[in-house]
Amino acid sequence: MASKSRDTETQINKEPISIGRIIMYIVLLLGAVVMIFPFYWMITGAFKTWTEVNLMPPTLFPENPFNIENFVYAFKTAPFAKYFLNSVLALLGCIVTCSFTTILAAFAFSRLRFPGREFIFSLLLSLMMVPYEMIIITNYRTIVTWKLHNTIWALILPFMSSIFYTYILKGFFDSVPDSLYQAAKVDGCSDWKYLWRVMVPMAKSSLATIILLNSIATWNSFLWPMIATNSKDVRTLPFGLYAFMTEGGQRNERMMAAATIVVLPMIIVFLFARKYIISGMSRGGIKG
Amino acid sequence: MKIRLENIVKRFRDNTAVDHFSAVIESGELVTLLGPSGCGKSTMLNMLSGILYPTEGKIYFDDDDVTFVSSEKRGIGLVFQNYALYPHMTVLENICFPLEIQKVPKAERIERAKKMAELVHVDTMLNRKPGQLSGGQQQRVAIARALVKQPRLLLLDEPLSNLDARLRIEMREEIRRIQLETGVTTIFVTHDQEEAMSISDHIILMKLGVLQQFDKPQYLYDQPANCFVADFLGNPPINKVEAKVENGKVILADGQDSGVRLEGHDGEKVWLSFRSESVLYKPESELRAKVILTSVMGKEKITSFDLAGKEVRGYFDSSLDFERGEEVGIGFKKTGVFVFNFESGERYL
Repeated sequence: MASKSRDTETQINKEPISIGRIIMYIVLLLGAVVMIFPFYWMITGAFKTWTEVNLMPPTLFPENPFNIENFVYAFKTAPFAKYFLNSVLALLGCIVTCSFTTILAAFAFSRLRFPGREFIFSLLLSLMMVPYEMIIITNYRTIVTWKLHNTIWALILPFMSSIFYTYILKGFFDSVPDSLYQAAKVDGCSDWKYLWRVMVPMAKSSLATIILLNSIATWNSFLWPMIATNSKDVRTLPFGLYAFMTEGGQRNERMMAAATIVVLPMIIVFLFARKYIISGMSRGGIKG
Repeated sequence: MKIRLENIVKRFRDNTAVDHFSAVIESGELVTLLGPSGCGKSTMLNMLSGILYPTEGKIYFDDDDVTFVSSEKRGIGLVFQNYALYPHMTVLENICFPLEIQKVPKAERIERAKKMAELVHVDTMLNRKPGQLSGGQQQRVAIARALVKQPRLLLLDEPLSNLDARLRIEMREEIRRIQLETGVTTIFVTHDQEEAMSISDHIILMKLGVLQQFDKPQYLYDQPANCFVADFLGNPPINKVEAKVENGKVILADGQDSGVRLEGHDGEKVWLSFRSESVLYKPESELRAKVILTSVMGKEKITSFDLAGKEVRGYFDSSLDFERGEEVGIGFKKTGVFVFNFESGERYL
């Protein structure tokens, strides 16, 4: 494999114009532009004035790149700071509880022996086939019965565990050789200590993947917060953005600013952690 | 620590992995559990370590009945074929881990771990991760980790199988040295007879869950209890030809008299087995064999013959010169020649 790629390299050196390669790069470049442009448009748009946004032909770069008027407006008219805080709270609540239950469940299904283990696990897996929209109805009834409707808890409670993440982590735990467990057992290590001292540190990159996927999903979740909350005090960013759009009128530059506030944290997280996401995904052999 | 195994039976559903196994292992010895794969030696080891419990029988460590005592209370150190080091911990942390579980104070922990690292010669790489070590070094760390809590018994499960040939010889000598220095009773599981012969005080040879012979390595070789033991030990493997006993003479399949005498088994079909070094060149002998191939190995040469339709090998002085296809007279020494029952493998001579 390595020698093959070296061969192609030397070939390129001999004849610099390889048409196939140029076409390939053009296609890739086009794909990249298509992917990135909406984000670029959103972020630059957030710094433009109303007239600038509506200019024909449109400009690619804002006149005054330090024009934060739109952000100020967004923060003033809608409680984006509050939304942001709610989002962070919901995110932390979900990640901490979900990671904890996922670790315990994955360990139990992977390492502990109890009657019906395989059956229970396949039952759980089959639950993944139930569409999300259907679960929402039952979850809503539960939340209302428990009088947690319209609280932060409503945003955390249904996501405190995840079959999908348990499945990914169990896959990793399964790949850890039995002899590590036996070695620890012979030394008198308890299951609890073995889990936290050996398994979890070893599963660092799988856990990072899970936490990232979970963060993105929680941060972007829209349908459930819209149903489970109805006051501004507990709204999260995506629904806040939606409300802002319907309440704030057709001012594109302001919407861009609001959207930027919502999306930026996740973009930053993704840029820092993308290698974990990709490696974790390919390890699990599962598409998101 | 002396280990007493009394009538151990282990069944997995209908399958009997270990069958009425009894043995006494003396304190401070290195004993090898040897046998082909599937002979129950790993099952035996797992019962000694407490990972499995026997279906029947008793295990005693000194005078304590530990048959159903869980692993962590037995005071054993275990070394695995794949080393089973914790990949995210350094060498020092790995060796310290058993002491950490025993809640030994940190300073003492590190001191003991360092001493152990010195013993196994990994004291220069304490801060490395297992992934940065060679197989032999990883195995040394695994041994240090098993020994650091001063176990009463050290169990080694095919510890050399993942190493290349040269390292294997080096490491088996190292294991022997460490075992002699610490004086810990050690049980070593392997399927490699050469490994077993070279480091053990005693060897337990198993087949299909049944103990075949428990003896010193040399006795196992010189005085095999049955045909299986004779076949299993020795390189090149023992020569084996079909024969029949007539009037106290062992007669080969082609009617030649082997010259071996056996009383009391007239009319029985037997195996005549002999070590390659027990073959003698006797020009005047009536027992003839046809030379197939000769290969010189320094001061000796090994020659293969066709003897009564079977290929057999013998060691000869390299000054002897045989032609291919030549018929030569051979005989046997007094030692290294055995006669076994053809069916049961029971030893007659």
